[in-house]
Amino acid sequence: MRLSGPSLLGVLLIAFAGNSALAATTAPEPAPPPLAAEHLKVEAMPAWSPHWLYAFDDSFNNETDARVWVYDGDHGRALGQFEAGYYGNVAVSPDHKTTAIATTYWSRGGHGTRTDVLEFEDNTKLSLQGEIVLTSKKAQSGAMGPFNLSYSPDGRFLYVTNLTPAASISIVDVAARKILGEIDTDACVLAIPSIDGTRHRVSMLCENGRLLTIVHDDAGKETSRSVSKPFFDVDKDPIFVQSVATPTGAYHVSFMGDVYEIDLSAADPRFPAVWPTVSAKERGHWRPGGQQMVAYHPSSHRLYVAMHAGGEGTHKLGGSQVWVTDTITHKRLARWSIDEKKYGGAFCMIATQDEHPLLFVATEKSSLLVLDATTGKLLHAEDKLGQTLWQLLNP
Amino acid sequence: MQQRFDRLVERASRGLARRTSRRGFLGAFGMVLTGSALMPLLPISRGSRAEAGEPAAPGTGKPMSPKASASDPNSCDYWKYCAIDGFLCSCCGGTSSTCPPGTTPSPITWIGTCHNPVDGRDYIVSYNDCCGKTSCGQCTCVRNEGEKPMYRLSLNNDVNWCMANDNPNYHCSVSVIMGVAGK
Repeated sequence: MRLSGPSLLGVLLIAFAGNSALAATTAPEPAPPPLAAEHLKVEAMPAWSPHWLYAFDDSFNNETDARVWVYDGDHGRALGQFEAGYYGNVAVSPDHKTTAIATTYWSRGGHGTRTDVLEFEDNTKLSLQGEIVLTSKKAQSGAMGPFNLSYSPDGRFLYVTNLTPAASISIVDVAARKILGEIDTDACVLAIPSIDGTRHRVSMLCENGRLLTIVHDDAGKETSRSVSKPFFDVDKDPIFVQSVATPTGAYHVSFMGDVYEIDLSAADPRFPAVWPTVSAKERGHWRPGGQQMVAYHPSSHRLYVAMHAGGEGTHKLGGSQVWVTDTITHKRLARWSIDEKKYGGAFCMIATQDEHPLLFVATEKSSLLVLDATTGKLLHAEDKLGQTLWQLLNP
Repeated sequence: MQQRFDRLVERASRGLARRTSRRGFLGAFGMVLTGSALMPLLPISRGSRAEAGEPAAPGTGKPMSPKASASDPNSCDYWKYCAIDGFLCSCCGGTSSTCPPGTTPSPITWIGTCHNPVDGRDYIVSYNDCCGKTSCGQCTCVRNEGEKPMYRLSLNNDVNWCMANDNPNYHCSVSVIMGVAGK
């Protein structure tokens, strides 16, 4: 509706007259006290909580501007951000005090001189505390996971994955803030860290379904390498590279919904028997999918997998449900539905590692859901956090 | 045949990646791509090349009646995009097989096969990225027929295929017909 000038004036006059009549019969309310003067300051970070989440937002529509959100799951609010450049690979230190981000910047925004850099962010202040300039080889993959950049379990070394497309890792001495060296990985990818006694090792997935394990010394030099027998079939049922770390290695799920464990607790890698998350009837009809489709809570030995109904080629589709399976009995404990219409499918998940765990779920619409990881109850929902949440971390 | 071809390119590229330096790998991989385009065993039917505004010629295979969006290069349903994960260059100033002005094609890529429901043929397509500017941000398309994880790099669409460009900034993706896949 549009009102002409005179008509609008008429309406205002009528309203004014009405107010005057009211004032004649009612005593005016006393004016509320004025608001206190405000003083601009910078928020201090609260004390660390195991329910904090580090959420990588790739900002896919303007990818040179990725960032990491720091989010408080108990209070359902963002605490702040780190900048993460272009295709940042992110890892949180085992003592949860530092976030390491291997990323790329250009001197003129999206062009100019390229600099790959490993940045160290202080999690207690959300401020940059240092950096190491890398060679321009850093792996750039949309398949973000815990092993694209990883700390050794003791926090002493960082492993930066490179892809040019020749694959290698750069080993970084964290305390010295120094690159110790680069090791060719024979076209195998990821950096799954472990310690055998005092030997630091890093393992990776190869195209023939084998695991390559490289042992290195304190100077970052390779001392030995070994290749396992094939433990998965790339052609019949490949495993996702996006996996979840365990205290002894990692759980990977396959396109068809089987669980493959890599156990690095002994001198040689072990591969316990593969077990399914799907029944024979469900196989091929229900599948894992999304970006970070598997989460794990060790003390309750629960595995969470984002599942959807779909066929071949749907392995990046978000989950309409989260399936909860006991990793010891291999029995399914629950199927929790995600409100796909409202939030999109479950795209990334991570469980906090405490005794009252939360399950964070980032969705295809970049919503962030906070669930009770024991009951599946939705505790809080951010309808939109950032642009494209592609990785969730919780050390 | 198409699976054998995929595996051939895959084995060749992976073997090269293992055995050669970056520069050596790129040169050799480029040769593999060039060679594949010229393979005499793969009859290339230029007449059935489907571009924006250029309807595909009916073939002698098993014609189907695709939904309209399967013939629209600006739609993710377009048949050539069966394994693209990114922004469609056809929405960004290019076409389904050309990069937008001012960008640079990726010299390395991966190869797959897509079925054209209009002429009933399977086509070998090269998925290339167009590089040198930040994300186009238009027409996000995620399809993954035959796509494999990163350890099988030559069948993976997660990695940034601009990685070997002077400026590896990813802008958008194209799907370039290389020829008809043999039966």
